Amino acid sequence: MNIFLAADTVAEPEGVWGAIAGGAEYFIGIFNQGGEVFFGLMGGILPTLVVLLTAVNALIRIIGPEKIEALGVKAAQPGLQWYPVRYMLLPFLAVFFLTNPMAYTMGRFLPERMKPAFYDSAVSYVHPITGLFPHANPGELFVYLGIAAGITELGLGLGDLALRYLLVGLVVIFIRGIVTEWITARMLAKKGAAA
Amino acid sequence: MDGLNALLVKIGRGVGGVVGTLYQAGRDTIDTIIRNILPFMAFISFIIGLVLVTGVGDWIAQGIKGLAGNIVGLLIVSVVCAIPVLSPLLGPGAVIAQVVGTLLGVEIGRGNIPPQMALPALFAINPQVGCDFIPVGLALGEAEPETVEVGVPAVLFSRLITGPLSVVIAYVASFGMYS
Repeated sequence: MNIFLAADTVAEPEGVWGAIAGGAEYFIGIFNQGGEVFFGLMGGILPTLVVLLTAVNALIRIIGPEKIEALGVKAAQPGLQWYPVRYMLLPFLAVFFLTNPMAYTMGRFLPERMKPAFYDSAVSYVHPITGLFPHANPGELFVYLGIAAGITELGLGLGDLALRYLLVGLVVIFIRGIVTEWITARMLAKKGAAA
Repeated sequence: MDGLNALLVKIGRGVGGVVGTLYQAGRDTIDTIIRNILPFMAFISFIIGLVLVTGVGDWIAQGIKGLAGNIVGLLIVSVVCAIPVLSPLLGPGAVIAQVVGTLLGVEIGRGNIPPQMALPALFAINPQVGCDFIPVGLALGEAEPETVEVGVPAVLFSRLITGPLSVVIAYVASFGMYS
């Protein structure tokens, strides 16, 4: 520590050498700042994440992900009341229990014409869910965490954002499922007419 | 005596099972942290360091502020991300969405973007989610090749509608947040 303090009383290097030295300090400064951010993430998010992930992983193992397969069979039924099950409840449970990318295997219980819509619906939920349940997609946390970091920086709580992201996500995947199912049906009809 | 033995064995098995499950869950977690989370944290930390120290941050701020600070800009971002040719290119690993999300986060933290735009922004930067993965995702759902043929364009075109729509929904849903 004294070495650095002493440096203040010594004349700064000047001329060409001074410029190079300044450049070196600037260069290191980038990584010092990055290191500080890294340390902040390790100290801030990581410990919570470790415990949360462990708890949810254990819960999923105890419940057994195969339990939701029965719901997959039910969701395949025609009728308006099954739309919310197929494009809200099933994608949510699939992403929660099977996580990305195994969640998409739930599509095998649905008829062919619904598979693209279910995939669209499920894949669109792998980020909204990470606000509260990061275990579902640990490799892609920073879509949410990146933006959330700014909110934390301002000293605001994250609960509001995480919950709204989760709920709006549900509405969005529901709409996405309906729209994609409709487009798929139209394209299949067109293909059938052409053949 | 036999009854007591059986009971002890039963308890032992039960406890062993629970402990084993918890231990395995912990092992999975540490594995995920090392494999998936830490590498991305390192990468993101470097980008944030670069943005904060160099002038790149201010330069990006100028561009982003106009786009991410208001609903019209966010709609433009979402339409661009949803263009069927672009969306599969922007998709892989959600790397683009994560980097853009981080940059937006930095600007929100600096006060250049109002915090209530965080929710619509989360949807605006992500209409391309999974667009690179459609054939694989459908194959995981045991779809026929004919379904994949129709499904890929169906999802891509659907995003053109639902991408901007999701931004509008999120914008409306963000009323009353952080204000």
